[in-house]
Amino acid sequence: MPAHAMLDERILALAEQRSLPDGRTLAVLPFFSVLDLARGLPHMSGERPAARVERAALTLGVCPERYLRNIETYSLDEQLRLLGARAAMLGLGGLGGHVLELLARAGVGHIRAADGDEFEPANLNRQLLATRHSLLGYKAAAAAARMRQVNRGVDFEPVAAHLDEAGMARLLEGADVCLDALGGLADRAALARRASAAGIPLVTAAVAGQTGLVATVLPGGKSPAELFGQGGAAEDRLGTPAPGVATAAALMAAEALNILCGRAPALAGKMLVFDLSRMSFETVTL
Amino acid sequence: MHVSIRCFATLSRFTPAEAEAFPVAQGETVAALVKRLGVPPDDLKLVFVNGGHVGLDASLADGDRVGLFPAVGGG
Repeated sequence: MPAHAMLDERILALAEQRSLPDGRTLAVLPFFSVLDLARGLPHMSGERPAARVERAALTLGVCPERYLRNIETYSLDEQLRLLGARAAMLGLGGLGGHVLELLARAGVGHIRAADGDEFEPANLNRQLLATRHSLLGYKAAAAAARMRQVNRGVDFEPVAAHLDEAGMARLLEGADVCLDALGGLADRAALARRASAAGIPLVTAAVAGQTGLVATVLPGGKSPAELFGQGGAAEDRLGTPAPGVATAAALMAAEALNILCGRAPALAGKMLVFDLSRMSFETVTL
Repeated sequence: MHVSIRCFATLSRFTPAEAEAFPVAQGETVAALVKRLGVPPDDLKLVFVNGGHVGLDASLADGDRVGLFPAVGGG
């Protein structure tokens, strides 16, 4: 029997019928069964063994237990697409740490992320990956460690370097979506140019104080960064407290997941603007 | 006629007291309005009227919703 048919057979044997809170039943592959089955698989570059088991299960209509609470919001077919999807992100600080966490928990199969910075104490107010243990270490290294804790099915490729525009182009090779989780305006326009050249959507966000914005830029479209220019920005005065950063990151992740599971981006050509001091959210056209 | 005005982030300090119904002259432009509010031209990067991006030369109409945005880049 070929290896994939044997894997399918074992998945079906280990799957359990579970009752969902709304009364439906669903075939579920328990979390520890995924780990057991993954352990027996040969390592192949480009896909983690756990992701291979999960993809095989989803193809059979069996939901891996770790994705059970994604159900309906992301259908089994969409979950399968997410496991095969490729995200490239720049920045593993305030926005990036939260975005990475959400994409990994959602089950995005391949994530390449770059940040050349090391954590410093002033990052602790908002950056998920900044702890007393990660201080002074590379953000990319802390991200890799976190990925091993959160979802070993993610094929995570950390890049601990400041990227120039050529480096950005390499980061985006093969990616389905680009996430601009940078801090400051200096590199954002260049990243928007590279995403456009790569022909992939860019999901971008920025925060100052309680105000934030999130936008999706399709190839050839207008990005907020090019309207803002290269000088100083409002966060120089207002800082970047955690609620605005985490809100913007959650919106970015939701939009990237829309795109990666094959739906139309909700913010294409638009910008969502929020102000948490007034709890206002509005979407404007760029 | 009147417009409503929302000033975001560092521009919030230029929010007028009558922000929900700020009096403007017939045909007044965005440029004239922001000058009256005292917003430094270099700090204003994006203007929205009724949810659409407009230039400083756009004329205002009664009931318009005006949003003023500085450069924002933090993460």
